[in-house]
Amino acid sequence: MRLRVIKAYFVKELIDLYRSKLIFMPYLVPLLIVVLFGYGIKMQVTGVRVLILDNDHSKISRTLISKFEHSKYFNTTVENITEEEGLEKIKKASKDMIVIIPSSFEKNILKGTQSEIGVFVDASFPSRSSTMTNYVQGVIYNLAQDYHIKSSQMIQLNNRNLFNQSLRDEEMIVPGLIGLVLLVSPAILTALLISKEKEKGTIFNFYSSSVTGAEFLIAKLSAIFTLTSLNIFILFFVVIFLFDLPFRGNFFLYWISSELYILVALGFGLLVSIVVSSQIVAIVVTLMLTILPGFLYSGMLMPISSMNNEAYIIAHLYPVMYYNHIIYDTFLVGQGFDSSLNILYLSLLAGYALLFFFVGLFFLKKEI
Amino acid sequence: MLKIKDLTVRYKKKIGIKNLNLEVHKGEVIGFIGSDGVGKSSALNAIAGVLKFEGKISYKGMSYTSPKEALEVKKQIGYMPQGIGLVLYDTLTVSEHLDFFADIRDITIDAEFLEYKQNLLKMSGLERFLQRKAGELSGGMMQKLSLICTILHRPSLLILDEPTTGVDPLSRIEFWEILKHNSQNYGAISIVSTAYMNEASKMDRVVLFDQSTAIAIGTTVELLKEIEPFVYEKTVQKFPNSLTVGEATYSLEKLDIPHQTPILESLFFINSLKHNALLPALKISQKNLAKNTNKITIKANKITKRFGKFIANESVDMELHRGEIVGLLGANGAGKTTFIKMILGLLPIDSGELSLLNKKITSAKDRQELKSKIGYVSQHFALYDDMTVRENMLFFALMHKISRKKAKELIGEYADELGFREYLDDMPRSLPLGINQRFSLAVALLHDPIILCLDEPTSGVDAIARRQFWDLLQELKIKRDISILITTHYMSEAEFCDRVVLLKDGKKIADKKIAEFYEEFPNAHDFEEIFLEYYR
Repeated sequence: MRLRVIKAYFVKELIDLYRSKLIFMPYLVPLLIVVLFGYGIKMQVTGVRVLILDNDHSKISRTLISKFEHSKYFNTTVENITEEEGLEKIKKASKDMIVIIPSSFEKNILKGTQSEIGVFVDASFPSRSSTMTNYVQGVIYNLAQDYHIKSSQMIQLNNRNLFNQSLRDEEMIVPGLIGLVLLVSPAILTALLISKEKEKGTIFNFYSSSVTGAEFLIAKLSAIFTLTSLNIFILFFVVIFLFDLPFRGNFFLYWISSELYILVALGFGLLVSIVVSSQIVAIVVTLMLTILPGFLYSGMLMPISSMNNEAYIIAHLYPVMYYNHIIYDTFLVGQGFDSSLNILYLSLLAGYALLFFFVGLFFLKKEI
Repeated sequence: MLKIKDLTVRYKKKIGIKNLNLEVHKGEVIGFIGSDGVGKSSALNAIAGVLKFEGKISYKGMSYTSPKEALEVKKQIGYMPQGIGLVLYDTLTVSEHLDFFADIRDITIDAEFLEYKQNLLKMSGLERFLQRKAGELSGGMMQKLSLICTILHRPSLLILDEPTTGVDPLSRIEFWEILKHNSQNYGAISIVSTAYMNEASKMDRVVLFDQSTAIAIGTTVELLKEIEPFVYEKTVQKFPNSLTVGEATYSLEKLDIPHQTPILESLFFINSLKHNALLPALKISQKNLAKNTNKITIKANKITKRFGKFIANESVDMELHRGEIVGLLGANGAGKTTFIKMILGLLPIDSGELSLLNKKITSAKDRQELKSKIGYVSQHFALYDDMTVRENMLFFALMHKISRKKAKELIGEYADELGFREYLDDMPRSLPLGINQRFSLAVALLHDPIILCLDEPTSGVDAIARRQFWDLLQELKIKRDISILITTHYMSEAEFCDRVVLLKDGKKIADKKIAEFYEEFPNAHDFEEIFLEYYR
């Protein structure tokens, strides 16, 4: 390993990236993705058309109705019709949700016995429906607080949807976006920088000299690693200040896991660039391999625990999930190094990084 | 010193080079000569240790049978692969390149190295361009920079793959000076491949390649002496097993004609005769095309073309007559292709006047009627790679509004005349360049044009095919009375033209008949020398 060779490639790469203006790519693309997607993917639901069937007509039931009426999430109507007629309205898509207050609602609450509120949700969009159920939960919780009762005793929801705790979209989406962009941008840049040498023919400088494969890779990757590492901090500030996200966990864990994760991303790009030899193909293949799984199998849009067998396995094979777990922890939960799962996932990331590098090294030949 | 034993390179479907055996001694300059696709690059890549091969290569006692084993030897090797500026980074300056190569080659930077580097920069004339980015250098300068970078670590084994192809003659001379200097002063072995026959005289020994085998190895004098008995003065008589190309007739059997001194290309002609690998006899049928048209077919008056600040063509005048072949010659970037493209209407003319067949061209509409009178063969043969030869021809015929029935007749006719009938159902990419070249010519002739424009149609094509192609053009001129405008970077081909227009930096610097050029420079041996006189 000769430091001089690595330095030469390192400096060359930076000059080349700077003069070809490509140096802005690792910063612009992630920012763009985070901002566009962060604002764009809204799972938050407002103006839910809720129909309330009040069979009790008591003080508490009217308080509950007024709580619905005062929420910005609901667009409430109260009608005196049967359950069947109400369900018909959901079928016709004129209502999103029916809430049925049973006849002895107030009596049961004052007696302290359990009562059941029927909730029927239009579940054509699963994520939306679970959000709506959450809203109802919130309203009922609020009511229960007013009357000093534990809500769990009071109600039961007629509902088969997923349980989604969050009321704010940013908290669900944005940390996952960090996991996406820290994968996409270093991977593309790596695939690009190696395939560029192949496409232009400058790879012959490596082939025909005594520069070793490890020297070549470390030199190439270290330049990109340095550049994209800056993103860890840029994205941190964007997420905290632009999207108002809390940061409850350990910053060091965030930092070190992100660096490891970038190494994994470099590995992705490296493996792609070994197979392909033109820049355009490198970009397309890397995008396909990073963006789609980065979205689908990251737990960002769909919890991994609710995936079916094949998807569950793919998600576990794909390193994004492990990093996202740590990221969600550092931003939203804050267990940090106390969680043995975080430690396990961190070492898995290191394992992936090493694996990709050595596989890449093995397949990188100093010949045409 | 360098020993190559039974070197064979196999690709998935074909063989690159078969059983090459060669020994090279200290300080020797070896030339690998042959056209495209005959195995020169395969052999060079294998020797440089960047391509898998069979057989054994040993250098200075270190032997290797695979690229992996060659790692240690690579410290002593300097390799420049084929392609202009291939190993250069467009965005890096000349001096940054030198630093980069010094680093990856781990060169100790001392006074001696700095002096060596300075000397190289001086010889190459790159001293003044230290801060210029490689992407902004001319082709010739790029190649000189590549050479300097390749010999910066003073390799004792230098491997250069067609370093001078497409480079202007002046840069080529400087290139060879650096190379000679290097081998004489440092005793390095140099293996250089080239498509230019006249560069063979600069080599100590040459290896001739044809169809993936080395057909002859020796000094040029030895090799020429060997074939002397087979070379005769040109004759129109037909003999079995003989071949008449250019200015001589070649026959393996004794003929009753006086002998003639062979030229290097003769080596390939004789080899083809020996292997019975002769091209089919080609001919062009007589046609009377538009007898009534004017004598002058192209008249360009002060044509200028700018790309931003760069002036590609500046006030170029030119005339082309019926039945005349005019060669457009110049170094890389002199504006040859731009000029042809303006005449064809592929690039708009910035200022100046152009008349085609006595009709002044002012708008695209004026051209529309003339399109049927002009044929064009582009630099890279603009054929569709995913259609067979027959489909390509049919497509172009239909584009020219030739009826399907007539088109099929024409395709058959040209396929016979130009000898590519057996390839009609092949894909263009799988064919030898020489076949592609003839079939491109046929495509350009389908609609019976009166003017034929050819942009570097002979580059990369082997010696025999090239000669025969020129014979075809001569025949076209005589039998159909058409005008031909052709660009080429082979200076030797100027001799086949009736008139030569020399371009330099976008300006016309000469426009004369070949004989007039020789009258002006009576001491010149060939056209390259005349060209250099103008360029100096």
